[in-house]
Amino acid sequence: MPSWRLVLCPDELLEQLTRETNPNRLPNRLVADTLEVSRDLHKEKSCQTASIATAEASAQVRKHADAQVQTEAPVPVTVLPLSQHDTSRLTAFLRRVEAMVIRELNKNWQSHAFDGFEVNWMEPQQTVSCLHTLGYPPAQGQGLHVTSVSWNATGSVLACAYGRLDDGDWSTLKSFVCAWNLDRRGLNPQQPSAVVEVPSAVMCLAFHPTQPSHVAGGLYSGEVVVWDMSRSEDPLLWRTGLTDDTHTDPVCQVIWLPEPRHSHRFRLLSAAADGKVLLWQGAGTGQLQLAEGFALLVQQLPRSTKLKKPSRGETEVGVTAVAFSSFDSSLFILGTEGGFPLKCSLAAEEVALTRMPSSVPLRAPAQFTFSPHGGPVYSVSYSPFHRNLFLSAGTDGHIHLYSVLQAQPLTSLQLSHKYLFAVRWSPVRPLVFAAASGEGDVQLFDLQKSSQKPTVSIVQTQDGSPVYCLEFNSQQTQLLAAGDANGTVKVWQLSTAFTEQGPRETEDLDQLAAEVAT
Amino acid sequence: AEVEETLKRIQSHKGVIGTMVVNAEGIPIRTTLDNSTTVQYAGLLHQLTVKAKSTVRDIDPQNDLTFLRIRSKKHEIMVAPGNLAFNFICKASLYLTA
Repeated sequence: MPSWRLVLCPDELLEQLTRETNPNRLPNRLVADTLEVSRDLHKEKSCQTASIATAEASAQVRKHADAQVQTEAPVPVTVLPLSQHDTSRLTAFLRRVEAMVIRELNKNWQSHAFDGFEVNWMEPQQTVSCLHTLGYPPAQGQGLHVTSVSWNATGSVLACAYGRLDDGDWSTLKSFVCAWNLDRRGLNPQQPSAVVEVPSAVMCLAFHPTQPSHVAGGLYSGEVVVWDMSRSEDPLLWRTGLTDDTHTDPVCQVIWLPEPRHSHRFRLLSAAADGKVLLWQGAGTGQLQLAEGFALLVQQLPRSTKLKKPSRGETEVGVTAVAFSSFDSSLFILGTEGGFPLKCSLAAEEVALTRMPSSVPLRAPAQFTFSPHGGPVYSVSYSPFHRNLFLSAGTDGHIHLYSVLQAQPLTSLQLSHKYLFAVRWSPVRPLVFAAASGEGDVQLFDLQKSSQKPTVSIVQTQDGSPVYCLEFNSQQTQLLAAGDANGTVKVWQLSTAFTEQGPRETEDLDQLAAEVAT
Repeated sequence: AEVEETLKRIQSHKGVIGTMVVNAEGIPIRTTLDNSTTVQYAGLLHQLTVKAKSTVRDIDPQNDLTFLRIRSKKHEIMVAPGNLAFNFICKASLYLTA
């Protein structure tokens, strides 16, 4: 039996060897015949790590002490009553001080020392710049538009809803809700930190006012759903399902409202084009139940302005936008498809004459009708600084500034030749608002500087496709998010001029409301 | 009585929003503002007044703080420090609206 020896040898030698021994077969590493290689081609090497020095040491605490800490509820400090002795001292003190204080107060009114003196403690930003451009490629690939954006309670997470605003398929259109955490390092603009797939197009979004991860959305199918974005598997928290109570038309807006008695719990208000405004409450099993409901019918609208005569039969008034007053929590403004804003109240008692089935009796909330736009109103926004002013934007390209007290608008501004899709007051400057237009730009208006043309016009889309939604960030007030028809959301950083309140703005806003109303 | 009259005179001066008198520990004794605002102002301004007083004294021991004014975008706060017992705080608006 021949003995085998495995030899490691360089390739050239191997080829030569195999060619010599088996010329017709392919060379292979294991040579079948015994071969002896005359030259010794292997070398030996070895290595060893240097020895590592080790040592042992131990430590022990010599003495220790225990301490405990507990906080006590702070005792509310109240104003002290005075004793007799102190009153005389107080009188003497005041007598001494009064003259000086009056003199200083008088000097204040006559002083010109601080005229035109403005302080800038931080680096002022001169221009508006785009901070982030966010998009979700699978949604953009399907040609979905961004229908709504929302900032969360802490101002660090931005969520956007994808859907289509021009048409919508009932069965085949799946859409997404994407959220980006803008404060996280390593933010990838194309990769949202949370994505929820939704079987129907999402038309509107609203983050919960106190829970940073809960977001409510209104779907094209009329359902209202609440998701928890911090759960990656099964984010669905609450849903209305498709019952008799749900909307029969796409939901245009959802808003979280505090409950009247427990202000830390919230209810969800949804409004849709079928004329219903519904208030939902979360019930135990993940089901949203109808708590209160309102229905708008043309016959029940207050006749404060002349409207077109309704056709025969009851006609619902399609609702396209909702805005709540920050001063009076039961007062809200509805924007309608007919172009006229309506003043409504949650406390309205009149029963709606509708034949729509509902588990809760529907009421007619409208109290006042304002004079209409030339087309449907797509967005209303209530001023956070003045209790009577609100803005409405419609498809006629105009923005109307209304006072709740009168039907005619105070001023009307033409911003665009195409539709206007969204208008929002700034949360920090009483005279500033932003509008999203169908021409692809976001226009920022400062009523203090000019009441006719926009102060800044930011071009969002290069191809002129419309911008559908915008939201100010109320925690980081220099950020403005806007979503457009290309499926991108851009976060703009506003210049300091738009974020710092000047000295007299609230008074100027009051003056504007008063002088234009007369 | 005289205390109230004096305070009322100052309070009715043009542009004054509120006045309060604070004792040496920073506890308000008389005030025309609501309770929570009073407590907040008293606590914050007392510390600032003590610091201002000690600053002036440190620079020149013969000197003493006579008046402290804090001017902000919206208001001006004026503090008249007394002897050890009382301090007088007055908040005035910077603009007169018709």
